[in-house]
Amino acid sequence: MTHIRVNETEGITHMLVRRLPVLHKALCTCSIQVADVHTQHYDVIVVGGGHAGTEAAAAASRAGANTLLITQKIQTIGALSCNPSLGGVGKGHLVKEIDALDGLMGRAGDWAGIHFSILNRSKGPAVWGPRAQLDRGHYRDFIQSELLSTERLTILEGSVEDLLVSAADPDKPGRHKVYGIRLAHGGGEIHSRSMVLTTGTFLSGSLFMGPNSSPGGRIGDPPSCAGLSYSLKEILGLKIGRLRTGTPPRIIKDTIDFSCTEIRLPDEKPTPFSFINAHVNCKHEDQLPCFLTYTTPGVERVVNESMHVNSHIHQDTKGPRYCPSIESKVLRFPGRLHQVWLEPEGWTSDLMYPQGLSMTMPPDMQLCLIREIPGLHKAQIHTPGYGVQYDFVCPTQLYPWLQVKSTQGLFLAGQINGTTGYEEAAAQGLWAGVNAGRTSLSKVPLSLSRTQSYIGVLIDDLVCRGVTEPYRMFTSRSEFRTSLRPDNADMRLTHRGFEEMGCVSQQRYNEALQVKQSLNEALSALRSISLSATRWRNKLQHVNISETKSTILSGEEVLQYKDVSFQMLASAFPELLAPFLEFSERIKVEALYHPHCEKQRRDIERMQAEESLYLPQDIDYLTLPVSLSKEVREILDSTRPNTLGAASRLPGITPAAIIHLLNYVQREKNRNHGTGKDVSCFG
Amino acid sequence: MHFIRCWRRSATVITSIRSFTVKRLLCSVGPEDDTVFAMSSGQGRCGVAVVRVSGPASALAVHSLTRRFPAARTASLRSIIHPQTQELLDRGLVLWFPGPHSFTGEDSAEFHIHGGPAVINGVLQALGTIPGLRPAEAGEFTRRAFFAGKLDLTEVEGLGDLIHAETEAQRRQALRQMAGDLGRIYQDWSDRLKRCLAHVEAFIDFSEDELIEDGILNNLDAGVCQLQTEMGNHLSDQRRGERLRSGVQVVIAGSTNAGKSSLLNMLTQRPSAIVSPTAGTTRDVVEVPLDIGGYPVLLSDTAGLRDTTDSVEQEGVRRARQRVEQADLTLAVVDLTQLPSEPLMVSVFLRGHLRSILEQTSDRQQCIPILNKSDLISTEQKHSIRAVLEKDGDVARFCFLSCHTRDGLEELLTVLQDRLKTLCGNPLAGSPSLTQTRHRTHLQTCTEALHQYHHYRDVDLVLAAEGLRLGLSSLGRITGRIGAEEILDVIFKDFCIGK
Repeated sequence: MTHIRVNETEGITHMLVRRLPVLHKALCTCSIQVADVHTQHYDVIVVGGGHAGTEAAAAASRAGANTLLITQKIQTIGALSCNPSLGGVGKGHLVKEIDALDGLMGRAGDWAGIHFSILNRSKGPAVWGPRAQLDRGHYRDFIQSELLSTERLTILEGSVEDLLVSAADPDKPGRHKVYGIRLAHGGGEIHSRSMVLTTGTFLSGSLFMGPNSSPGGRIGDPPSCAGLSYSLKEILGLKIGRLRTGTPPRIIKDTIDFSCTEIRLPDEKPTPFSFINAHVNCKHEDQLPCFLTYTTPGVERVVNESMHVNSHIHQDTKGPRYCPSIESKVLRFPGRLHQVWLEPEGWTSDLMYPQGLSMTMPPDMQLCLIREIPGLHKAQIHTPGYGVQYDFVCPTQLYPWLQVKSTQGLFLAGQINGTTGYEEAAAQGLWAGVNAGRTSLSKVPLSLSRTQSYIGVLIDDLVCRGVTEPYRMFTSRSEFRTSLRPDNADMRLTHRGFEEMGCVSQQRYNEALQVKQSLNEALSALRSISLSATRWRNKLQHVNISETKSTILSGEEVLQYKDVSFQMLASAFPELLAPFLEFSERIKVEALYHPHCEKQRRDIERMQAEESLYLPQDIDYLTLPVSLSKEVREILDSTRPNTLGAASRLPGITPAAIIHLLNYVQREKNRNHGTGKDVSCFG
Repeated sequence: MHFIRCWRRSATVITSIRSFTVKRLLCSVGPEDDTVFAMSSGQGRCGVAVVRVSGPASALAVHSLTRRFPAARTASLRSIIHPQTQELLDRGLVLWFPGPHSFTGEDSAEFHIHGGPAVINGVLQALGTIPGLRPAEAGEFTRRAFFAGKLDLTEVEGLGDLIHAETEAQRRQALRQMAGDLGRIYQDWSDRLKRCLAHVEAFIDFSEDELIEDGILNNLDAGVCQLQTEMGNHLSDQRRGERLRSGVQVVIAGSTNAGKSSLLNMLTQRPSAIVSPTAGTTRDVVEVPLDIGGYPVLLSDTAGLRDTTDSVEQEGVRRARQRVEQADLTLAVVDLTQLPSEPLMVSVFLRGHLRSILEQTSDRQQCIPILNKSDLISTEQKHSIRAVLEKDGDVARFCFLSCHTRDGLEELLTVLQDRLKTLCGNPLAGSPSLTQTRHRTHLQTCTEALHQYHHYRDVDLVLAAEGLRLGLSSLGRITGRIGAEEILDVIFKDFCIGK
């Protein structure tokens, strides 16, 4: 058994200590953890040290569970294996929510960011996309040091050969139960009550470059054991699908002629991801720029010429609807220009990452291709791009708390559930970690509503609809976009994270409560101001208030005007509003969307009511004595929705079918009421 | 007897047809495995009656009644025999539709038999003796078809109308809707709105990272405007379709003792209202449903309009004015004997008089002035009045009438039918009208939501997009919901979006 290698770990911590002097304490914690390894029993085991695994391990520990993180290589914990950036439109929303639940990602971004910008500035604050380019090394270091200083968390380097499976506890739903893992190379067994699998692209992963393929999940790392795939498929009987992804070649910075590209500067004042950070780590004047260039007809030619030696692009003609590689862009949208972003990889890195140039052709053709692009005429490739094909578990087999329905104690998060992207993985990791921790401590698992968070939207989409292509978050996936904003993620989630989920620290909770109180007071103060349009015009000279003379407007309504800022109102009513100046931007956004959110409140309440109606998981939809068409029965049977709300969002389910189901559930509820048995299906 | 009773009962359920789709589809939970039958042609005397059977025992029913099984979907002439008494009931056409390629998706059959009550009752009774068969509840065939996915929501409603078709015109419109004309129009709007929304969503989610052409929002503005215009035109069809369903509101109004109640009685061909020489006999509104030339009409007689101190009559006058205000068509009755004797004054008087009757109405409402009691004036007087009115074009087309001698009735009916035809629209020409208040409400919500798009377009694109989302979800209540996945389908098809 390969227990944590004390020497190596000390090496890492030593390195961290050098870079992050604050985290000196980590060393002591680490040695305690090393001693703990010999206990051989944990509340939660997390397999995998990527974005899902690290958040899962940290969240399970925060939730109070004694947790073990097993990874193949300790050095790659927290590695950014693809693009060196975090956030964006939709993804940035997820980062804010992860942070609101005290996850690592937001703070790691603030520590490692080298270029910060808010995307979509002109399109309304609900879709602002906080984003940063990252220093790969800094990011990894931050995550590793955070984990090392996390209480109740042990880290172990090793490979998992197999899951330990037994018969299910008869008093809970499910056919199997997972009670631990067997380590590879005769490393023995480790037992746990819950387990989170975050194997990323390593589940039967194969790498593609040119005409060749080889087993593996990431270049430079050994392939994972085939045993895990076998356990999931053959022993647990899970439905497995296959997905593809890819990564672009890395280009040597010195060989790029940036004069042929457009420079993109970061925001002058970087905005931190985390609600508890007032500043980011890097100084604004030290930020590094990105560069934009475009493909040319020459690129199209190279793609076409290399088709016969590009096995990845030939396989699985169905493919995703979007374009995962430059090859697919050229083939599906010929004759167009495509953007290529050249992104820095870190402070000291001599590489650039060409976003938009993911490709799987042979390395020599890759070089030909990039040299057709302005700025890259003489560029050299450091590492060629490649494609990955990997197994994923069809996520409709999961509960909304990310536990496998048929298997007690087994939770899945990240790419294994068919998603793509760091943020999507981290969000699931956090949620699986919280719930794995809770179930191991015999607490009820929880679901996040899609009415309250993008994490809820993500998980609901996964477990209700499944995936046919790698799932990525877009703001268009949310029905309640004006309520689920990046600016209010803490107001939506932090109090619940502390009060219900137990994954948020007291300190963060207190801070969020204070902010909430200030925001509420500021909005009440605004509403208490009420003047005629004429008087507002006198107060705010340069604002075009179009209302007629007699119209009475509240401070909140005036703040909804495009050109009115909270600062302007605060200088007009200093006594009333000046105390809230530090929240100016947040107050403005609240005021802007408030009327609309009020209008949506009924929809939100209705959806929440439907989501609170649980459908028993043992229903036989094919014979249910309810008036349902055969098609509807088949859809329900194959997707097995957890709640009536989830059922109502399935394509092909009629409103009439929902009413029938509602009737049935309530009838059953009434019938069982007498016997004291509830139909809800909490595991 | 049993079946006659059953038939009558199903006829009385008709009043709740609109709630049929809502209430019956949503609330009744019953096993679908039994076989139902009912007469599915219209009620009343008719040459041919169609009896429909649907469900797994349909084959048994056909076999029991005809002995020789017909080929699928082919009309075959058969003797129809009572399975127990072996009595010959009728000779008629039998059609066999094996599921799932039938109206209900189940095995079903139709018996086209002679329309006499004895034959119909005989066949229905015979079917009732076959094990596993029961009479259908109102709308049950439609419900089965709906659950088998054979109808969309607009088609179900169109079918509901068909079942209820009380008049010829209603039947024709219901047929049009069944064929999906209305559905096609809504579908087209829904597709176009979906594309507009997809482009805004693409702009929001992808324009910072991907190449999304400039000017996409400007194209969108034009698209949304175009939709608004088309929906506006559709909505301003002045309630034609709804009138056809619920009847055109025709109100008889005028001063006291002009002969309004006599006109009502004459049109309804029975003494619906009390008629007396005393002014102010009619004090409340009297309503009679009528079929005029195939168009359903709700005819109301109202109290005569005059200033009065009697509080009961005051209320009657108030109600009369309210009715006129709500009317689709007003029959303004004028007593010819009250016209000024000087012919030149007639048109001035009439104009003032009509204005006092129609004071609350808008321009779009229609009026037919009826000059009653033509039997009490001389032919010469009649000619001079006609000459004056025809010269003075701005008095609407008028009718001379004598409720006493029924002189002028034919002419009045012709004018009336003309007006009804414009009000209801010809169901077989032009754009299919709205047949449902439901549709109107959703369309109205949709156009209002599209307005929100323009309102917020330059303020906050999220709120603008929210307008399109709201509009699409309102339209979706007619044509079916459109989810985020379908929007993404359009985005990925129209734009090159990377990983």
